[in-house]
Amino acid sequence: MNTMNNSRRNFIKTAGTLAIGSTLPISLVELAFAEGSQNFTFAYISDAHIQHIKDNRFVRNWDRGLIRAVAETNLLTPKPDFVMFGGDLAQLGSKPELDHGAQILSALHGNVHYVMGEHDYYLDLGEYWEKLFGPQYYSFGHKGVHFVVLNSIKTYDDWTFKRWPTAEQRMQEMAILDNPNGSPFMVGEEQRLWLKNDLDKVNKDTPVVVFSHSPLQKIYKGWNFWTDDADQVQALLKPFKKVSVIYGHVHQIQYNQIGNISFNSVMATAWPWPYPQSYAQAEQYLPKLTVPMNRADPFFDRDATGWQFINLANGNADLNFTLYNNTSRVVRYNEKQKRPEDVVYQDEKARIVPQTHY
Amino acid sequence: MSTYQKITMVLCLAFAATGSAMADEFTDADLQRWQQQFMGVVSEGRELWTSPKLGGNGVACAQCHPKAANTHPETYPKFQKQLGKVIPLWQMINWCLKNPLEGQPLAADDPKMTALQAYVTYERRGVKLEPGKH
Amino acid sequence: MRYVLLPTLVLIALFIFYKEANTNPLPEPATANPQSVTEENNLLGLPPVPIPANNPQTPAKIELGNKLFHDKRFSVDGTVSCAKCHNESHAFTDGLPVAVGHHGLTGTRNAPTVLNAAFNQTQFWDGREPDLEGQSKQPPVNPVEGGLANHEPILEITRTDPYYQTAFQSVFGVNGKELTIDHVSKAIASFERTLVSGNSAFDRYYFKGQTNAMTAAQVRGFQLFIGQGRCVSCHTIEQDHALFSDSRFHNIGIGINQIQQDIPRLTKAFLEAKNKGGEVDVMVLTDKKSSELGRFAVTNELSQIGAFKTPTLRNVELTAPYMHDGSLKTLKEVMVHYNNGGVSKADEQVNDFLSGGIRPLNLTDPQLDDLVAFMKALTSSKYAVPTPTQAAN
Repeated sequence: MNTMNNSRRNFIKTAGTLAIGSTLPISLVELAFAEGSQNFTFAYISDAHIQHIKDNRFVRNWDRGLIRAVAETNLLTPKPDFVMFGGDLAQLGSKPELDHGAQILSALHGNVHYVMGEHDYYLDLGEYWEKLFGPQYYSFGHKGVHFVVLNSIKTYDDWTFKRWPTAEQRMQEMAILDNPNGSPFMVGEEQRLWLKNDLDKVNKDTPVVVFSHSPLQKIYKGWNFWTDDADQVQALLKPFKKVSVIYGHVHQIQYNQIGNISFNSVMATAWPWPYPQSYAQAEQYLPKLTVPMNRADPFFDRDATGWQFINLANGNADLNFTLYNNTSRVVRYNEKQKRPEDVVYQDEKARIVPQTHY
Repeated sequence: MSTYQKITMVLCLAFAATGSAMADEFTDADLQRWQQQFMGVVSEGRELWTSPKLGGNGVACAQCHPKAANTHPETYPKFQKQLGKVIPLWQMINWCLKNPLEGQPLAADDPKMTALQAYVTYERRGVKLEPGKH
Repeated sequence: MRYVLLPTLVLIALFIFYKEANTNPLPEPATANPQSVTEENNLLGLPPVPIPANNPQTPAKIELGNKLFHDKRFSVDGTVSCAKCHNESHAFTDGLPVAVGHHGLTGTRNAPTVLNAAFNQTQFWDGREPDLEGQSKQPPVNPVEGGLANHEPILEITRTDPYYQTAFQSVFGVNGKELTIDHVSKAIASFERTLVSGNSAFDRYYFKGQTNAMTAAQVRGFQLFIGQGRCVSCHTIEQDHALFSDSRFHNIGIGINQIQQDIPRLTKAFLEAKNKGGEVDVMVLTDKKSSELGRFAVTNELSQIGAFKTPTLRNVELTAPYMHDGSLKTLKEVMVHYNNGGVSKADEQVNDFLSGGIRPLNLTDPQLDDLVAFMKALTSSKYAVPTPTQAAN
């Protein structure tokens, strides 16, 4: 039998043989890290936007995206230590949407932690969501890493409490990404105070990972790729040696390094968003480090969407993007450069063609 | 006097009476009014663009295309593999209406179709034409 | 830069060879005999045939490939030639759900037609080989197809058989130990590149503007094909030609729906076996359940579980049964499967890994019939079997 295999191998060059070594899935990767603690994986699913049509009908595309992410996440071996859901489970924050989303997520194996998104929040200000998933902001420790979850999609009280005649209208206004009647996101004073107290108890050598829905950095205000008090939150994180911020909301790959803080976005399972630079009429600040994704092909309902598993490698977050109809990508923290980098695409010359955004 | 001459005379009198510019000189009032007319249609287009009622499943155009980004009207007509041929923008809008929005297509000259195209194109004002580009 | 440079070089090379291949043997248009006119028409609706730079077409090589293609000796029991499963009388398929190899052993996948395989960007249902040269080496040594332990028995025949000795010498200038399986596969691939065929009713209707080339039902079916049926997004057509395949891989709910519960176990076991040296073609053709993992078996990508290559639709009327596992007997069954949103029976559960784009189509039964009618407009004149009514006309 051995002889046969050997002689066959002399002749047969399968595409599969090429794949081994280059694109082995996590299931076969030896996680060879320096230390035992601070090295583990977790999965990250975000922005499902479950959308109720009526009765028991939901928008099929968004359902399928979440169902697929859950199924694929469940195939990860070694099993991730936990799963994060990064916010915007619902489209308009309604009970049917949150219930339906929670039911799909209930198929996940293992612990799930949740982040609040604006589409979950602005109908009842998180009341029903809290019943299903727990507090809106909290922290937890895991294998020597301190994790913080913030509700970063709050806004000015005047907008939230005075401007709109009904909760439904408030929700609908906030649900339109590019709405000039919207309002910038913020973490707010109450949570910043809580965060300061929470971090005071943590050793400055402990790696800190912060999960928020909106980017805790300022990229483009027009679409709330933005958190108004990002600078104040960054200041609270400054004393720590290793900090990672992981956020959803933007439905695209972004990464950045600001001082000691690494920023990484995660993908949506629902639909992709254009990079703000593709809107010709406004200035925006997509981090220069970021190598953008390609445009989506609207035929493939799952194109330019996906989910990710994250290796926490010696306290730094390495993101492995599983993209349904696109080449998978890995954005890893480069210890020498001290910043996140795509393992394949770094400079203009190495970018995916075509890379033009309209 | 022939009919032609009569018309010419009436027109001359009319211009003289109003002190209006010649046909090749639009007045500021003309330009403003026409721009207003156009912007009215643009804002109708914006309404439709963000409306959950345009399609059949509550999904709005703006959900995937905020500010009509990534619609690249300046590249049409172009080959679209969804239809297997070179098509103008309105046919692609109809593809989206039928597919992601699970709704009904609009006629090419439906005022709603005009409004949608006005909005999409307005958001890309100033961008150079690149027909056929992907 | 290298991403651009290599394809460009390949394109230039292809262009040069295409020019060469086409300038030499093409008949003179002025004195074209009926045969050559037919040949030319036969390509209506097709793009130029891609010819690899390292394997240019020559008449002698094509003839040698033809012989090799039909040689039954290249199997353990002397019964399996390429032509056994790719039989010209069945439009280069075998008419069976899955291929039958030596001693009646069955594999797991439906033998696809060789017609127009020259245009495929990858070969096999899971695309595990990039070209026809690579493809043709696998079946003789697959345990359930040719059943040979290795390629040696083939080389022994080609090095000693007087016809082959002369032919390989004149085509490739090799004999004895210089003659390798690569020469054999190149000749077979060259022959297969002549098995291209367009000129269907659709081609005459769409590319030649012959409005009466298709029936009313076929025209309605075509409108559904590019409209409500959403077929064209994967079975692509272009402005001046049509291959009816996007050369991509999609999970459309065939086969994989039935093994949903086993996927976690299967994917893990498959990757472990592959990592220990297990060979993809053997594993997927000898185990029905592993076969359903599709493109995942080749790329190890979770996003390609249950995904198979989009096949061309040209001559589809002649290549029943359908799908990668031959599980659907008729074109109507195929339409019903798509209309249900990726399940063959309406009450089946669709698998979690279903490709985007597959969804219920809300087509009526007469509309499904129109689509089937359109499928029959894709049969090349060269292979068309006249129906009784057509014969009467």
